[in-house]
Amino acid sequence: LLLGASGASVKRNITLVKPTKVELSCKLHKNSNLKSPQVTWKKGNETISHTVKTENSWSVQLTILDSSMLGTYSCILKGKEEFSAVFHLHVPKIEAKEKPIITYIGDAAVMICSTHYPSMAWTWYMTNGTKQVAINDSLQADKYVINRKSANETRLRICKLTKEDGGVYWCEAAFELGISKGKLELKVLSISAPLKPFLAIVAEVTIFVTTIFLYELYSKKKEKSA
Amino acid sequence: SSAGERKEDEELEAPAAGESRGTKGAAGGWAWGVVFHFFLVNVLVMGTLKTFGIFFVAFREEVGGSSEQVSWIGSIMSSLRFLGAPLVAVVCRRLGERPTSILGAGLVAGGCLLSTQATSVPFLCFSMGFLLGMGFACLYQAAAVMTAKRCRARLAFSNALARSGMGLTFLMAPFTQLLIEFYGWQGTLLIFGGIMLNLVPSSMLLWPGSTRQPRRAAENQHLGSLMAKKDPETPGGCLDGSTHRELQSHSAQEAPTVEGLVMPHGRDVSGAANPCALGRLEKSTPDSSSLETPSKAKKSYKPLAATKKEPSQPLLDFSPLKDPVFFIFTWSFLFSHLAYFVPFFHLVARARTLGMSSRDGSYLIAVAGRQRRLLHPFPTEKQRQFGQEIVPAMSWDESPWQRFSPYPFLQTQSPPVHARVAPTCWVDLVGVEKLHSYLGFAAFFAGIAAMGGPPLAGWLYDYTQTYVCSFLFAGACALISPISFFFEPSAQKWKLKKANL
Repeated sequence: LLLGASGASVKRNITLVKPTKVELSCKLHKNSNLKSPQVTWKKGNETISHTVKTENSWSVQLTILDSSMLGTYSCILKGKEEFSAVFHLHVPKIEAKEKPIITYIGDAAVMICSTHYPSMAWTWYMTNGTKQVAINDSLQADKYVINRKSANETRLRICKLTKEDGGVYWCEAAFELGISKGKLELKVLSISAPLKPFLAIVAEVTIFVTTIFLYELYSKKKEKSA
Repeated sequence: SSAGERKEDEELEAPAAGESRGTKGAAGGWAWGVVFHFFLVNVLVMGTLKTFGIFFVAFREEVGGSSEQVSWIGSIMSSLRFLGAPLVAVVCRRLGERPTSILGAGLVAGGCLLSTQATSVPFLCFSMGFLLGMGFACLYQAAAVMTAKRCRARLAFSNALARSGMGLTFLMAPFTQLLIEFYGWQGTLLIFGGIMLNLVPSSMLLWPGSTRQPRRAAENQHLGSLMAKKDPETPGGCLDGSTHRELQSHSAQEAPTVEGLVMPHGRDVSGAANPCALGRLEKSTPDSSSLETPSKAKKSYKPLAATKKEPSQPLLDFSPLKDPVFFIFTWSFLFSHLAYFVPFFHLVARARTLGMSSRDGSYLIAVAGRQRRLLHPFPTEKQRQFGQEIVPAMSWDESPWQRFSPYPFLQTQSPPVHARVAPTCWVDLVGVEKLHSYLGFAAFFAGIAAMGGPPLAGWLYDYTQTYVCSFLFAGACALISPISFFFEPSAQKWKLKKANL
């Protein structure tokens, strides 16, 4: 990671799937104003001691074995001014539709979560009030169907929707290094929701048609009598 | 003369007074009703066609199907508007414009409502593609012909007013997006069905005319509609529809084929050459010539009565297919049509892949639609041709949002620009006599292109998994289309040689 003379802090996102060895290093650009600064590596707020310093770079070697070792690592260079670079180590993020999925009562809904890396296991949760309730598709096989299309994707199909099925759903992917969650929102509308404006328009149309029809009759009568 | 009266029942069904001043007044007054209806048709029909891009995204996500398959829905819908016109012309003659228009409105509304129950793409192809397409064709044809019949005095102005409805279509895109966010695509289609039902009372405004003079001209125009069998919609109408002017000129053309009067009607046809021109000044001369048409037609009325039953003669005039100039023009026409529809369909989807929300995508369509209407420059022919080349060049780069906004702006310059080139080029290239048969075939091919374009682009997406290719394809088509014009000099030479042999 190269740092220039700019004051802005630099960020990096690193996605880790399996336990690996990672080396993070901060290098100073040779044209920088900073000369021999004091460098500290921190994980969160704690300082890491076993850092390695070479001529113009400071690095730290990490062995990531479990989720506790993931997090935010930063290198802080203190000279006249203070620069920092931040590394985010995290599990793969889940992609899910951000906009609410709109369905109707009695319909079926399909919710899809996917990642870029194969996940070991997927779990779906439904929010019941404040609690998260796991969805067990073997228990309610006629209502919920969890289909694992590929290692990267999972689909939850809910049949025979009711009003109570609306709300926030979570899909959880389990990786070796931890779990990752995605949020989906389901909105269940009743048929009457779009039906009301529709009927209003139909009523308006009928009024127009009748008016024109009556006007025609009237003008025909008028001309017949004229 | 009763043979001449034929079955123009619409004209006779008006009160028995026929030529009484009262009905004439009523007929005159309600010409504005016809204009209003045509305006509404433009807004709704064009609006639906353009906002299909938003539905495209929703269909892909929820109904499933590849990009190509979903594109078929939109292309069937828009191409049937062209291809269905001959059939509609026949129906119009049988039933009259008003019932046809009401039928069209019913088809459209019914198609929308039926689509709410759709579960698969083929179903949607039928309900949304076929039903809506045929309905649109009915509506558009009937409205255009009625406008021509009714607004004899101010034809240009009323035509322009009605077509400006296309400018309002920019409102429909964000509106559709909003509806989809609230109600999902099924609810949106339901509400759309209701909105289309509004076309029923406005169709009822298409009162049949009642005075004798318009009747005669009307008969000629029905003749013209039969002629329209082979030329569904003109290209000059901003790619969007037939023009009554075309039909008028066709009726004028009938006379020449019977009497051999070519020259006087050349002017009428050149009037047809700028059907979409919004400048009233331009239209005033063709207007006066079109007014001459009924009187001329009256003179040639008797011979016309004889030939009425066999308009098949000029219909099946295949000579354009032997003419290289025709190929030149149709080539460019075809490719510009191919290029035209693709962006509208895939714009929103592409925007989504670039990370923009659907809402922004719909604004893009709105921008594209609005710019199209607001741009009425009349550059020279050469400029138009080159203008076309700039546009596809812009279509290549679309990564950042900033550069995306000018894209629809420029993109929309091309079709209307080309649409204006089209008629004048035609007249130059082929001469006025054969204009309508050339246009007929060209428009037919255009309809085929309109049908094939978006699915082809959709297939490209499925194959390459990116929308860049479909846009590049559209850009390439637009670039290819003016190339044929470069062959025009050599084609003319070839023709002269052949004629001299």
